[in-house]
Amino acid sequence: MPGKLFVRRRDGRVEVRLNDVGRAIVREVFAHVLAAERDPEHEWHLSLNPPINPSNDDDDPLSTLARQSETASNAELAVMTIQEQFLTDAEAWAWLCTLQVALRATAVVNGVLSDEKLESASPELLDDIRTLQQFLFDLSGCF
Amino acid sequence: MATPKILRNATAENDLEQRADSEVAVVTERPWNVIVWNDPVTPMNVVVAVFKRVFGYSNNKCTHLMLTVHHEGRAVVWSGQRERAESYCVKLQVAGLQSSVERDA
Repeated sequence: MPGKLFVRRRDGRVEVRLNDVGRAIVREVFAHVLAAERDPEHEWHLSLNPPINPSNDDDDPLSTLARQSETASNAELAVMTIQEQFLTDAEAWAWLCTLQVALRATAVVNGVLSDEKLESASPELLDDIRTLQQFLFDLSGCF
Repeated sequence: MATPKILRNATAENDLEQRADSEVAVVTERPWNVIVWNDPVTPMNVVVAVFKRVFGYSNNKCTHLMLTVHHEGRAVVWSGQRERAESYCVKLQVAGLQSSVERDA
């Protein structure tokens, strides 16, 4: 069984044990989230901006602004720390949030909204999803 | 002019009744619920980690809520004032969970 990709150390930092391929995947994912938050035409943009109160025509602008700002901040922090071997707690949390946002966006954009749709997804899409899930599984074990 | 004692007592009782009425009004106002919805891709331990981080709930409570989402398709993870509900909902969405707010039925 392969070792864990992320390990919480006794000093509180999170050690990143991704190889070059793993870091390249994560780098691309983080860049996508950052681009999607800034560009309304990006295919992930809508999935990053779901309704807060679906019974209202419009959400409170302050709430949507807070979400946009926090998502972008997390993605920026994740991009800035992509080469680090050790992450602080806040940096590791930014990685987790950004990876999870990317996983959800991948699923939503490809219509994977049920277990049946997931089972019938193409091998390439399934591979992307499983890779992100593996990263998230190990990283969430640090919290 | 000094208020007669009996009138002062009556006024105090009215005050108490008014205060009690307003407290009842606050208590019976319907709360806002923060809902987390199930999705087929999010790992279960990610949901638990997010609940712990956002709400500070115990591990057992987070696991129970996660299993409710998984089996029932949704779970009410917090109830209270609208502003706080929306704030929690935003934190959950920033962490990539599918979440919304709704007024308690």
